[in-house]
Amino acid sequence: MRAIWTGAIGFGLVNIPVKLFSAVQASELDLDMLDKNDSANIKYQRVNAATGKEVAWEDIVKGYKIDDKYVVLDDDDFEKASPEKTRLIEITEFVDEKEIDSIYYETPYYLQPEKSGGKPYALLRDALKETKKAGLGSYVLRNRESLVLIKPQGDLLILNKIRFQEEIRDTEELNVPNVKIKPAEMKMAVQLIESLTTEFDIGRYKDTYNEKLLKLIMAKAKGKKTKTPKMEIVHSKSRDLMAQLKESLNSSKRKAS
Amino acid sequence: MKKQAELTNLDKIYWPKEGITKGDMLEYYSKVAPYILPYLKNRPLSLFRSPNGIEEKGFFHKDAGDDAPKWVKTKEIYSESTDKMVNYLVCNDLESLLYIGNLGCIEMNPWNSTISKIDHPDYIVMDIDPSDKNTFDDVVDVALVIKDILDETGMDGYCKTSGASGIHVYIPFNKKYTYDESRGFAEVLATIVHDRMPKLTTLERSLSKRKKNQIYIDYLQNRIGQTLASAYSVRPKPGATVSAPLEWNEVKHGLRPSDFTIQNMPGRLEEKGDLFKGVLGKGINISKIIEKLEVVTSA
Repeated sequence: MRAIWTGAIGFGLVNIPVKLFSAVQASELDLDMLDKNDSANIKYQRVNAATGKEVAWEDIVKGYKIDDKYVVLDDDDFEKASPEKTRLIEITEFVDEKEIDSIYYETPYYLQPEKSGGKPYALLRDALKETKKAGLGSYVLRNRESLVLIKPQGDLLILNKIRFQEEIRDTEELNVPNVKIKPAEMKMAVQLIESLTTEFDIGRYKDTYNEKLLKLIMAKAKGKKTKTPKMEIVHSKSRDLMAQLKESLNSSKRKAS
Repeated sequence: MKKQAELTNLDKIYWPKEGITKGDMLEYYSKVAPYILPYLKNRPLSLFRSPNGIEEKGFFHKDAGDDAPKWVKTKEIYSESTDKMVNYLVCNDLESLLYIGNLGCIEMNPWNSTISKIDHPDYIVMDIDPSDKNTFDDVVDVALVIKDILDETGMDGYCKTSGASGIHVYIPFNKKYTYDESRGFAEVLATIVHDRMPKLTTLERSLSKRKKNQIYIDYLQNRIGQTLASAYSVRPKPGATVSAPLEWNEVKHGLRPSDFTIQNMPGRLEEKGDLFKGVLGKGINISKIIEKLEVVTSA
């Protein structure tokens, strides 16, 4: 694992030097796009929308459209707007983790103490456990100010990026019908929930799609054929009608041309 | 040629319980004319006249063009069912609107296509038509399933209360397909809705064969010559209700057709503007949507 950032957690008068590691990885298989005919890799080109010609990286700038005109921004402009870069994650307050809705959670990272930071790291971790609190602070990563939550997990401190309020979409457009629930219905639903309640064990759930896909890739690499499960053909009226409609659209197109 | 509708019997009571007169109705139409006219313009109208108000039986008047003053636009169209030319009225301006209202037409029933391309509708309509035993919340549920399908396939769609007991969902077609193709698409959509709500909905055209508590999804409204009350049309129903275009977030349980009347519609229009504009906008591409529907329905 490679650290993606080094800096320090500021906690009261103490600075705890730490390294930051990504805590998650994509579980999807890394598939490449190829030309069906010769398996050559597909590459992207950035082209000028007006001329269709490729544009070199150094000639590409970013702009923001206002009233059909672009305001072009250069590196200096981004620099000016960026928050001051610091190597410090300043914990400004402590909160009860339960008060933070899961909707705010973004990417998690692991924190590891640098050599000199072992003791204050352990102190912060154990004090958080003791008080059942999490530290709320901010730091700058990749030019953007981020809001983070620091909480203990086992021997580690975990840093979780959390979203700003403005990143959460308004729910006004969603419709949830206002219905009256009868006590008997409620009782039944509660009973069902209770009978299905278990301890949370993520280990019991597996993303099987990638597993199967990988097996298939391995088999193909060895030259073995894997069976495709036979598609069950469902006869449905809507599908028949769609086929008919497509046919009539095609024939009218033929007539027209 | 003087272009002015002669308005008569303005004090005649059209809605006895509410005490609303023919004059009140014409005043409503003159207020909302800028909003309703785009949905009537260049479309043959099927007149349904209720000259004695809503409590007496009205009658259809198709061949109305013959008696109309010269300044009202008319269009002769061959009718297969009667094997003769029918002279339709076309309502393109405020004066024509008032003339038609003065005939006792409480509702405005335009074709889905315009006279410039008479066999290519501008939109399709899914007419959600409940039985007496359904609640309006049931109707809302069906509309929301249609909305789900619109969202799943990235289709535009707009809805309005019918002003009576149902909801109409319009999907813009922009004269790109024939009536046959459009109806075919509407049938696909109706069938998918029925697959998702097999108990609540029916596609059975015959009233006697429908169960008593089923909602009819009427996709057959998308045939040439069929008409539905237009957006902002008044309906000859208690309360002087209006067919009201809705924002999709208004389509939820508790919505009632009686929320929209000739009294409050002008105010609502000032506040919300014309929510139905997109119906006459860019049309969908049936082939592309069918591809997406095949994916959506294969799950």
